[in-house]
Amino acid sequence: MTAGAPPAPAERLRVRLTVNGAAVEREVEARRSLADFLREDLALTGTHVGCEHGVCGACTVLIDGRSARSCLLLAVQLEGARVTTIEGLTPADGLSPLQEAFRACHAMQCGFCTPGMIVASTELLAATPAPDEAGIREALAGNLCMCTGYVNIVRAVAQAAVRLAVPAP
Amino acid sequence: MSETAAGWVGVALPLKEDARLVAGRGRFLDDLGRPHLLHAAMLRSPHAHARIVRLDVRAAAAMPGVLAVLTGAEAAARSGPIRPLIPTTAAVPDHCLAVDRVRYVGEPVVAVAAVDRATAEDALERIRVEYEPLPAVVDPEAAMRADAPLLYPALGTNVVWHDTLTYGDVDRAVARADGVLRERFTIQRYASTPLETFGAIAEYDAGTDAFEFWTNDQRPGLTISILAASLGVPQSRIRLHCPDIGGAFGNKRRPAYLLVCALLARAAGRPVKWIEDRIENLTALMHACNGIMDVELAYRADGTLLALLVRDVADEGKNLLTPTQHNLIKLGNIVNGYRIPAVRYEAWSVLTNKCPSGANRGIGKPFMCFAVERAMALLARRLGLDPAELRRRNYVTADQMPYTTPPGAQYDSGDYPATLERALERFDYTGWRAEQARARAEGRLLGIGIATSVEPAGTNLASYELVTGRRAASGSAEAAMVRVEPDGHVRVSLGDPSSGQGYETVVAQIVADELGVTPEGVSVARGFDSATTPWLYLSGNYSNKFSVTDVGAVVGAAARVRAKLLRIAAHRLEIDVTDLELRDGAAVVRGAPDRRLAIAELARTAYADVLGLPPGVDPGLEAHHIHQNPLAQPVDADRRVRSQLVFANAAHCCLVEIDPRIGRITLRKYVVVHDCGRELNPLIVEGMVHGSTVHGIGAALLEEFRYDETGQLLTSTFMDYLKPTAADVPTIEVDRLEHPSPVTPLGAKGVGEGGSIPGPAAVANAVEDALAHLGVVVRSLPITPEQVWRWLREA
Repeated sequence: MTAGAPPAPAERLRVRLTVNGAAVEREVEARRSLADFLREDLALTGTHVGCEHGVCGACTVLIDGRSARSCLLLAVQLEGARVTTIEGLTPADGLSPLQEAFRACHAMQCGFCTPGMIVASTELLAATPAPDEAGIREALAGNLCMCTGYVNIVRAVAQAAVRLAVPAP
Repeated sequence: MSETAAGWVGVALPLKEDARLVAGRGRFLDDLGRPHLLHAAMLRSPHAHARIVRLDVRAAAAMPGVLAVLTGAEAAARSGPIRPLIPTTAAVPDHCLAVDRVRYVGEPVVAVAAVDRATAEDALERIRVEYEPLPAVVDPEAAMRADAPLLYPALGTNVVWHDTLTYGDVDRAVARADGVLRERFTIQRYASTPLETFGAIAEYDAGTDAFEFWTNDQRPGLTISILAASLGVPQSRIRLHCPDIGGAFGNKRRPAYLLVCALLARAAGRPVKWIEDRIENLTALMHACNGIMDVELAYRADGTLLALLVRDVADEGKNLLTPTQHNLIKLGNIVNGYRIPAVRYEAWSVLTNKCPSGANRGIGKPFMCFAVERAMALLARRLGLDPAELRRRNYVTADQMPYTTPPGAQYDSGDYPATLERALERFDYTGWRAEQARARAEGRLLGIGIATSVEPAGTNLASYELVTGRRAASGSAEAAMVRVEPDGHVRVSLGDPSSGQGYETVVAQIVADELGVTPEGVSVARGFDSATTPWLYLSGNYSNKFSVTDVGAVVGAAARVRAKLLRIAAHRLEIDVTDLELRDGAAVVRGAPDRRLAIAELARTAYADVLGLPPGVDPGLEAHHIHQNPLAQPVDADRRVRSQLVFANAAHCCLVEIDPRIGRITLRKYVVVHDCGRELNPLIVEGMVHGSTVHGIGAALLEEFRYDETGQLLTSTFMDYLKPTAADVPTIEVDRLEHPSPVTPLGAKGVGEGGSIPGPAAVANAVEDALAHLGVVVRSLPITPEQVWRWLREA
């Protein structure tokens, strides 16, 4: 590839990044989306694809701590980045306090949007440890849920904020 | 019913499946693979109506990585047409890909299987199709005209069904009425758009001439029957699995796509996966039926309703799988919750050059409720009555239950007036009416909307006899299997694959009560597997039917296992069976709790120590049961039929504020009081109410599949087909009454569709209430800021 010219869509390029704390190096087609890279190449199928045009938020992951749509990024753009998926937010044993709150509140039905919701909520609570209802709704407005009407999701995030504010005994 | 005190049914138990879903450990269709899997993509029609003049796929087929290409003509040569749910008069062949002619934008024309999806999509670009555009018919009333362009010239018409059904003396009721309210309402195309799109994997085993499918199709019974017929193999050589399903809401049933995958897999000799993309989903899977209702409501001066006359035009698009269902499904409850003694219902089921219409949460009833509840709001205003008061004067009351509507539906239980009163109280109706008046004086636009509805559950396919004049598929039933494994653990499977309804939890609660164990001791199979799940033609996840048939199947199968456990225990303990009960995981002698045999020990006898069984008892601890809801009966001599079977009800009360500068509508408060009979797991029930109410809000304010006059879909992405976000809706406040159904085994009723039925009407009534002083009448949806802005300008 000559400098300045974009690669052909099917041209294979090497990319090195960190995914859920582990170094990853792969050769991928230039056109491979980050979502497909995570799901197909790394078998991290917790990241879901709901619209492939950046609206639904099901594919949300953290890139260097900030939420992003993995369907709108190409894997090769992630050179050197730290990517965190739902798998990286799930403890080896049991669930995180945020996940526990989602379960306690039944903040899902089909569960397809849930990984994206957890990722977006993680970002919110990292920046705003005690969000109010309007703040939660605003922060999650980029993630569609077709099942819950959002009521229990908002409750779960508020409950998680309380759980996280109490230091573990 | 269990005699133990455990009582898991009714407990708001956190869901088993949520533990995996919250960690991204669900197993959805696109998470599955098969060895040597190929990926399919489909070329779709850019025209609403056109003749396919020439089709050249050679360049695509020659591409490296392309393993199979399938055209409509080839599909028609290699498979039979898709058999409809019930054969109606529209008996034209309906193949899985377009043959010779395309009839809506997005109709699949050619399918390609390649080593990966990108290669398959590259191949589509090399296909050359020459179309001769034909006049498209987009508007259903235009499609009814004699000179309309025809989707199927062989039919000679676009009208699948037209009939007038009359119940009671309508003409006399109208003649003696003090007045008749006449209004025309329309409803748009919208859809619940499950976040996971549709898809399938098909695999062909040439050695046994058998097909295996993995799919998120929500109605496996019908689909297996269709696939076997089209592929020309016995149903015994079709195996179909459903994994976790990422929402369905009625939309996920298009056997044609599974057939395409099967034909590609057989041609390529390798398994084929196809996952619908979102544009394909919005363009071509399934839209809620749009339609027109001309409503006439005959009344006395005191507001008493005397007759309801409806002319109901259902726009089926290119739906040949289930046409007429949008009429039939609302016929029984066309009077909503009101005592209206005479009904005339004129049905039109019409084909147009649009995406197939089909089941979508509440199917048909949201429009029924929109039309009837809008008419009630207008009548209240005409008579100078409070809209709540007009309803009070006309409800079917608790002491009239069970109540049979003129078209034949039976409302089984409930207290509709009390449901409304509770909603008004929870909402603080009086307080907000006063606040509305104060706000109006300040120039602010507040509106209060009330809508109440019945929520039917279960479908009786015998209702199609009204259309066809003969019985084909009929009734309402589901199948379940309960098995105590040799280690004493319980396994359950059900013909209805969950798509978010929490069956792994609620079914475990039901079985736990029957067998005296805990829900943790009961594993309910995820999804569906036709090789291990008992099933029927009627099996599936649709029509709010869980409480109507599925619960009965589970209870029935568990009761058989329970009886056998007790019989084995009685033999082992040398005691009469009536002296035993199942609790705490054991058969226990009443009054002597130390005399007991653990279920695991009884299972050991049943499977391993079979000489220890009582005489005449077969080894094993497994039972199947099919529950047929007895309310499902054929059409009677007066053409009355219970097209649906069990009726929940709800009252919605909401508050909107309209920004007069920009027309923005803000929902400030939303109260739902519902009654779905006995709540099996209130956590699941409340979630369903929230979610389906927001579907109703979306239909009221945001969502529309809008076609231009040539049949081009203008809203085919989530950028322009707008869904409610968390920031668009308020917290839905829920309260409940609980009048158990006398006609279901545990007293439960349907709940999944409830909010979506009155939701559009409640929001529309609130918007109109805010603007009524300006002469605004809401006749259609969605109510956009642009529409409001125009109303305000015109006022």
